[in-house]
Amino acid sequence: MRTRPWTAAAAATFILAAGFAYAQGDPKHGQKLFEECHACHALERGVQGVGPSLHGVFGRRAGELDDFRYSPALKRSGITWTPKTLEAYIADPQKAVPANRMPYAGMPEARDRADLIMYMQQVFK
Amino acid sequence: MATKMKEVDVVIVGLGWTGGILAKELSAAGLKVVALERGGQRSTEADFSVPAVRDELRYVVRHDLMMNTQKDTITIRNNVSQEALPMRRLGSFLPGDVVGGSGVHWSGHTWRWTDMEFKVRSLYEERYGKKSIPEDMTIQDWGISYGELEPYYDKFEYTAAVSGKAGNIRGKILPGGNPFEAPRARDYPLPPLTPVLAQEMFKAAALNNGYHPFPRPSANASRAYTNPDGSRFGACQYCGHCQRFGCEANAKGSPHMTVIPIAMRNPNFELRTHMWVTKVLKDSSGKRVTGVTYTNVLNGEEFEQPAAMVLLTAYAINNVHLMLLSGIGQPYDPAGQKGVIGKNYCYQTGASATLFFEGRHFNPFMNAGGSSTTIDDYNANWDFDRGKQGYVGGFIVAGAFNTALPIGYRPVPGGTPPWGTAWKAATAKWYDTAMQINMSGSVMANRYNYYDLDPTYRNAFGLPMMRMTFDYKENEHKIGRHAAQVINDIAKSMNPTRLNPAVARTEPWTVVPYQSTHNTGGTMMGTNPKTSALNKYLQSWDCHNLFSVGANVFPHNSVYNPTGPVGALAYWTADAIKNRYLKNPGPLVSA
Repeated sequence: MRTRPWTAAAAATFILAAGFAYAQGDPKHGQKLFEECHACHALERGVQGVGPSLHGVFGRRAGELDDFRYSPALKRSGITWTPKTLEAYIADPQKAVPANRMPYAGMPEARDRADLIMYMQQVFK
Repeated sequence: MATKMKEVDVVIVGLGWTGGILAKELSAAGLKVVALERGGQRSTEADFSVPAVRDELRYVVRHDLMMNTQKDTITIRNNVSQEALPMRRLGSFLPGDVVGGSGVHWSGHTWRWTDMEFKVRSLYEERYGKKSIPEDMTIQDWGISYGELEPYYDKFEYTAAVSGKAGNIRGKILPGGNPFEAPRARDYPLPPLTPVLAQEMFKAAALNNGYHPFPRPSANASRAYTNPDGSRFGACQYCGHCQRFGCEANAKGSPHMTVIPIAMRNPNFELRTHMWVTKVLKDSSGKRVTGVTYTNVLNGEEFEQPAAMVLLTAYAINNVHLMLLSGIGQPYDPAGQKGVIGKNYCYQTGASATLFFEGRHFNPFMNAGGSSTTIDDYNANWDFDRGKQGYVGGFIVAGAFNTALPIGYRPVPGGTPPWGTAWKAATAKWYDTAMQINMSGSVMANRYNYYDLDPTYRNAFGLPMMRMTFDYKENEHKIGRHAAQVINDIAKSMNPTRLNPAVARTEPWTVVPYQSTHNTGGTMMGTNPKTSALNKYLQSWDCHNLFSVGANVFPHNSVYNPTGPVGALAYWTADAIKNRYLKNPGPLVSA
């Protein structure tokens, strides 16, 4: 019982923060952009492809899933995935986490990243 | 004693692009299909992820995805007066040895071969006269037309995620594409790849010289893409490790991430890996095949797999080898020019110039398999008058970077010592400042270029090895000399600091170094059982329930990479089997 108000409060803060940063995101466009991720990442729980499943990614620590072999760099990164940390990672993966193994050069447009993250937030809300 | 397996509808021998396409299509049509693949299973997830896949020593030097010459190889000679010797190490060509075959390690270049190839003899005789074709040049029409294949080219391009720019949609010539290509119904599924500097410089020079440069169509996805079957592609990352490697980003159209997983999800389909097919079995009439025998290469166990249909979809050389080992069709004899199995083996020819530009930076470590800007003014361009040059066929020229790797790619100007301090200084100076212009030329069939069974050497299964008798003839030398001149003229117009000019190859062909994995012919398709092994549906004239799909069905070799027509023909044959053969099993063309 004690934890519930805390969780609710945290969630409220989370939504507020996310809403503030990404209120303009277009999830339809984000869904289209997700095609770039989809060749390697599944949205379903437990489906590991070239990249790990993104199911429930927000709030998860980087390199946390037992059934995916992460790069040491990602495991050591200490990142917890939030819209903000994910946004920075997608912008330039090698800059955010040097020597990680994701073969993706980055999504240069801030607007695209906002749309993509809005889409992912909708999928996992 | 071989273990006899339960009969199935279809046995597929070799699971690369063609076997994968047929496995998917025929299992979806409700047939029970078993595929036998000599190699093991590989996946992007387990095998091709970063950084392990970027291993030049493993994949390029040690040929990790290629056939193992300790189990089987071919013997080679240049002409019938020589004794052929086994190729004990891979060199000139690299057949694949995994699920996905050479479709895993290819670069992705996907061309549409046109009626200029399919009607080669008729067209040259009509324009240049019967005497224009040398007597020993055994070229012939293919018995199929571009119009028949067009929808199947389209299907393959959309399956394999080909990036490119159309030059001719329904007869309308479009700027930026290949103006000499045959009309297509629609554009490529994806726009061209981003060009690298060498392509941009070649494009400018080609335009200045009056040519028509275009980005080479290639199955490297320029953007994320989902194909009509639902297979998902990532965007190409220009990682510089394309040819010889599996793709780390699922961006290279490959059977192991498209058609094969779809077949695998179908309960009608079963894949058995590490299985080496040794023979196709015939019934007592000799007019039907009844299945195959095969050996588990891991433990030597032998099996017989009865089947209502047999599809030979292994590497081109192996498809022909199995026909010879199984006694299907009459083996070709160059002396009497009788028989067809083994006839019209063809290869390709090439030459290249290296251009050094002090102060320019080409970043050779960064490119796609299809980073190539090409001109087709000397092949598909029928207005190009071969009469003056006196050859049949032609060549394409390209400014390109493809898999320029740290160990193997060491361009230095001519005259540099091959080792030592001076070489080290030169390689450091010129590595980033060099680009190449290369050509690929056609090889027309010749009476004396052919396959048969070697009389001396046997493979690990105790079977006679395939013997290849091949050399370039005067027609190829003429093409090579002309192409070298064209390359050098373009190169000089670019004013490089130093130039290693292209030199036409005229010495006898040898199996070293690597040249091209475009081995064609041996079981030709055609219109007449006296002059071809297969009909236009790639069905054996001798045994109607045997089909063979691969570059082994080409009656000659063009300038282009063969995978475009190979993929299209796989879909074409799948349709012929599903729509016609299953309804009325028998010859689809009456002899």
